[in-house]
Amino acid sequence: MIEVKNVVKKYGRKSVLKDVSFTAQKGEVTCLIGINGTGKTTILNAIMNLVPINSGEILIDNQKLSKESYETVAFIPDTIITMPSMTIGQAMTFMRDFYDSWNQERADELLGFFRLKAEDKISSLSKGNTAKVNILLGLALDVDYLLMDEPFSGIDVFSREEIANAFTDYLVEDKGVIITTHEIGDVEHLIDHVVLIDEGTIVKSFAAEEAREEGKSIVDIMREVLVR
Amino acid sequence: MNQTFNKREPVYVQVVRQFKEQVASGELLPGQEMPSRRELAQKLKINPNTVQRAYKEMEHEGLIYTEGNMPSKITEDQKILIKVKQELVTEAVDALVKAIKPIKVSFEEIEPLLKERFMSEK
Repeated sequence: MIEVKNVVKKYGRKSVLKDVSFTAQKGEVTCLIGINGTGKTTILNAIMNLVPINSGEILIDNQKLSKESYETVAFIPDTIITMPSMTIGQAMTFMRDFYDSWNQERADELLGFFRLKAEDKISSLSKGNTAKVNILLGLALDVDYLLMDEPFSGIDVFSREEIANAFTDYLVEDKGVIITTHEIGDVEHLIDHVVLIDEGTIVKSFAAEEAREEGKSIVDIMREVLVR
Repeated sequence: MNQTFNKREPVYVQVVRQFKEQVASGELLPGQEMPSRRELAQKLKINPNTVQRAYKEMEHEGLIYTEGNMPSKITEDQKILIKVKQELVTEAVDALVKAIKPIKVSFEEIEPLLKERFMSEK
């Protein structure tokens, strides 16, 4: 379980996260949804300890982020982390050398699944294929938790579908996943838990199936609490 | 299978209904093995937890059963199988009635059409 407790993050005098608390369970897909600029990415960065928080606490399986707990979490940012001058194959080798949890077999499978070529330069790829490389690099890590920032953003509908498919095909059941999105459409049926964020505050947190029990879609709930 | 789910109804309920339809139509046979939860999640492109919940519901209704570590199987209990069929028919008729009622026609007016369409549909 990833626990985010009363996290406050300020950039100068501007509060980006105002007392944010939520938990993401193992074996569940938790989706942070909000309009752009609401602090979603900052939350992921804070979990990964990439930005220092002003107050609050973040625990991964009851432990503060350490070198050991870091090995159990993979972060897929929305921009490619590896150098664009690398080929896909070189990026895979880089990841293999860098992470003990790298699963070469799964990486090769995903390469085939996405019909990507190892010799292609990352800088030469379309936006959709770049996103696929990003997803590949993340899903090929044998980790307990996977954080993905806007995995479906700004790419064509077919690439989105393929990524959603890879997501279900390669999602190990006991893995905990946190994704951020401002566009719920493609992932609506993959999500267990929804955390709605607005201006650095969590406005609602609910189970997707429970909303549907009341005859409401996730977007219906978003409309209720975000559009005033 | 590339199917779309209704966004305003629990996905597990939709999965259960789909299985009932397949059992009622004979597409799935009594005693037949069910796919594993993981397989079904991949096939339907939904969350494995949702499949888990659907299986739990079907087990609860007696539609499937599990013995030990074996894959779940469709029930061979005729009573349950008949009930499933009745339930689906009732649901469909209810939906039809609900759609037609506001138009204010008598049953006598729709009866011939209903019969004709029923007979011509394969």
